[in-house]
Amino acid sequence: MSDIKLLKTDENSKLFDTTGMFFKEFNSDYRQIRYYTLLVVQKAPPEIKEINLLEQQISEIIKNAVKHGNKCDINKKVKVWYYFDNEKAQLIVEDEGNGFKELETWNSFNKKRINCFINQNFEEMEKYVSFRTKHSDENDSGNALFAAVEYWNGGVVFNKKRNKVAVLKTFPKKRHGIDMDSM
Amino acid sequence: MELKVRKYSNTYIIDVNGEMDLYNSYKLKELVLKMIEKKIGQFIINLENVDYIDSSGIGALIYICSTIKKINMKLQITNIHGSVKKVIELTKLMGYFPISNSVEDAISKIEQ
Repeated sequence: MSDIKLLKTDENSKLFDTTGMFFKEFNSDYRQIRYYTLLVVQKAPPEIKEINLLEQQISEIIKNAVKHGNKCDINKKVKVWYYFDNEKAQLIVEDEGNGFKELETWNSFNKKRINCFINQNFEEMEKYVSFRTKHSDENDSGNALFAAVEYWNGGVVFNKKRNKVAVLKTFPKKRHGIDMDSM
Repeated sequence: MELKVRKYSNTYIIDVNGEMDLYNSYKLKELVLKMIEKKIGQFIINLENVDYIDSSGIGALIYICSTIKKINMKLQITNIHGSVKKVIELTKLMGYFPISNSVEDAISKIEQ
């Protein structure tokens, strides 16, 4: 299926352009992930927060950096660039890890999962509800990127080393004032 | 997150209150496993008072659902709403999870 969304690698993606973005740097303290996320998401206008969906999606990306990238090594930093307005949410997160080596495997796993969903074959889908690697532990749910690749409709792009990810979500434009078409 | 268990006929209803996140979702998993050990076989997980769920919460629900399916026991998840529903939809699990609109609805599906 051509409409199955993929994680991409593109060092030169325009999503890595940090011009005009805010920046914060965090230690890799697992206990602080939701706090770090709140520090970032507080800049977002309420119109795009969708209650707490934006917060949740940002926390997953920060968690991946803290846990899978920096292996919760408190001395390693997570760098976050972010920008929000009423029509978009843009985020770049960089860790000091070795990078997401399993990206291609993930894409092919997700493709099989989506095909199960399209065919409503939930018995077969059982095999694809959690993406595991040799580094996964029992607390890894292995489903965060399934939602991320759908939520971030402007793309989920990794750099060449795959230790830096840029994501973009665009929101429909809100009309202001009188709608002339309806008059 | 707070978990309360009540019983209706042979069905145990777990009312989840609060946020299901990376710090606490394991508690729900542990509770259900303990209940299965005690030979309980009919569950409703009521998410009426859950307004936030992350991938760990989703992971806990997947684990529970998968475990219960394997041993041919019964499960319904009820009252998903707001961003919880959105996250389940984004993860494409609406058909995978046994979902009911209300606890009453879930009871009638389980007890039939």
